[in-house]
Amino acid sequence: MIESLPTAFLFFAGAAALYVLPKGLARGAMLLAVPVAAGLVIWNLPAGNLWTAHLLDLELEFMRVDKLSRIFALIFCIAAFLGNLYAWHVHDRVQQVAALLYAGSAIGAVFAGDLVTLFFYWEGTAVASVFLIWARRSEGAYHTGMRYLIMQIGSGVLLLAGTALFYRETGSIAFEKMTLHSLGTWLIFLAFGIKCAFPLLHNWLQDAYPAATITGTVILSAFTTKLAVYALARGFPGTELLIYVGAVMTLFPIFFAVIENDLRRVLAYSLNNQLGFMVVGVGVGTELALNGTAAHAFAHILYKALLFMSIGAVMFRTGTAKGSELGGLYKTMPLTMIFCVVGAASISAFPLFSGFVTKSLILSASVDEGYYIVWGVLLFASAGVFHHSGIKIPYFAFFAHDSGLRPKEAPPHMLLAMGATAFLCIAIGVYPAPLYALLPFEVQYVPYTTSHVITQLQLLLFSALAFTVLMRTGVYPPEMRAINLDTDWITRKFASAVITTLARATAVVWTGLATFTQNRLNTIIAGLYRSHGPGGRIAKVWPTGAMVIWIAILLGATLILNFVS
Amino acid sequence: MSDRPNENHDTLPALGRAMLWVDNKNHVTRFVYGLYLVCAGLFLTDFLYRKYTYVDVENIPGFYAMYGFFLSVGLVICAKWMRKVLQRPEDYYAPKDIETEEYPATQLDRAVHDD
Repeated sequence: MIESLPTAFLFFAGAAALYVLPKGLARGAMLLAVPVAAGLVIWNLPAGNLWTAHLLDLELEFMRVDKLSRIFALIFCIAAFLGNLYAWHVHDRVQQVAALLYAGSAIGAVFAGDLVTLFFYWEGTAVASVFLIWARRSEGAYHTGMRYLIMQIGSGVLLLAGTALFYRETGSIAFEKMTLHSLGTWLIFLAFGIKCAFPLLHNWLQDAYPAATITGTVILSAFTTKLAVYALARGFPGTELLIYVGAVMTLFPIFFAVIENDLRRVLAYSLNNQLGFMVVGVGVGTELALNGTAAHAFAHILYKALLFMSIGAVMFRTGTAKGSELGGLYKTMPLTMIFCVVGAASISAFPLFSGFVTKSLILSASVDEGYYIVWGVLLFASAGVFHHSGIKIPYFAFFAHDSGLRPKEAPPHMLLAMGATAFLCIAIGVYPAPLYALLPFEVQYVPYTTSHVITQLQLLLFSALAFTVLMRTGVYPPEMRAINLDTDWITRKFASAVITTLARATAVVWTGLATFTQNRLNTIIAGLYRSHGPGGRIAKVWPTGAMVIWIAILLGATLILNFVS
Repeated sequence: MSDRPNENHDTLPALGRAMLWVDNKNHVTRFVYGLYLVCAGLFLTDFLYRKYTYVDVENIPGFYAMYGFFLSVGLVICAKWMRKVLQRPEDYYAPKDIETEEYPATQLDRAVHDD
């Protein structure tokens, strides 16, 4: 029976059930059972438009199942399961409900066959996910959540406006491949771009993800941005602009990641960098490139979740994720350290780890199509991501200077979640065939060639050599308790200062004008009173009969009005 | 380098104990020399096999090695310059930011390993 309903409804029903279930085992089991059931359903769904509904004159498609939507929906189910397993200790109903609604909305959006359905689920992800930030229940998290929500809802408003314009232009709301030829499609593109953290629209990601709860960040890392990647792959494949946007995305976050102290924010920057690879794949738009985007999104969700889990476990035990406060934790959290290293090796695309068999599809596609400079940028970004995510994260958290902290190893459910995720990262890297079979197009690619393995090892190990040399010579910037300005400074400080200054200037001008006018009016009234008032000079010459004449005129007018009416 | 010179290592988890060598400077130096050797070997490998390439620059021996090394150094040096311009105190956005806030203790489990 559940096959005949949109899969997202399964998550919504699960979220509703959480309200009646007691905390503990029952709710935990529900949180795990829903993604498993949904994953099984999705695995067995036939291709096609399986569920439609009518709204006014519009036909809404809730379940457009094909290979592209299926792979994203499947990895979303896996991510929801692993994230909920990691959060087994959390009894906060707000977070539990938000996690299911968020995952359900993301899966609903992936299966949406039209732009209106997409819009509803798009906003669903925005509203549900913000509670994972607010659940931290602090003043800073509240403000950060508000900033996050403004950006996410803004993206939805642009999507809706774009959809309306697109409908007026074409008479269709079908969510199919579009071109940037009209304002409507540009608005839709921009809406996707905000959620995908395009350059200059990106900073909500680095602002919000480190502010969420420990388990909330793991959940957040999986859905919103990869939903946007899916939307771009569905709506704008082969849009050349995306190649350059993606290349810039791979590049600039790595500089910020090197100097960032908060390790969860470092991971948010590297998440942005990895999205860039996927966006390049969408921009290139060939079968190989789109396969690369889908495969990399799949692998990325796993290794990024693993990295957030491992740093989250450190935070759970120590209360901080700041590189300047950590170090030496390998002694008492060795399993967490090993899982972190697996995540680091996967994101760095080491042979036998997942990133190696997915990222290379995109690099090969870009060079196949003659984008040599972009290929060079991606190569640099690959070395850079190894530098800050592959080395910096495990090094500053678990090695480096001994912080003196001796926290207990992560709790068993966290280790289980990290272990399962690490296993998948390695399994995909060692045996990529099952993942390749899930990709939208047939895969002819062979990742393990002598050239590929050796050149990748050269790139990564010489990058490690650079890190080592810079550390030993003291050139590498130390972790410091500080923040670094990013584009959000424009809205949080500059625009705020401009608005405050303008408000003050307007207030001064307004008060001045009002005072001036008031004074002038007072002067005029006083003058008139002086001359025409009871004691005024003019009053002395008023004839007594003038009043009688005016009364006669008024009475006459009243008579005429009565007569006429 | 350990921050607790008189620490009893017997209570550490076995995996943690097995890795204590990283606290020894001599061992770290040996590890670094090992990395130099591996890198040298990888560089020389370019002369020993037929590389399948897409772009002409890939044919330069050690291209990937040099690309990885020099651009990584450049990355760090540029990032250091950026820090001079962009770095601000932690409380720059406070209180509308989580930077200076303690993570809520009720959501943590700060257990110590030998408790």
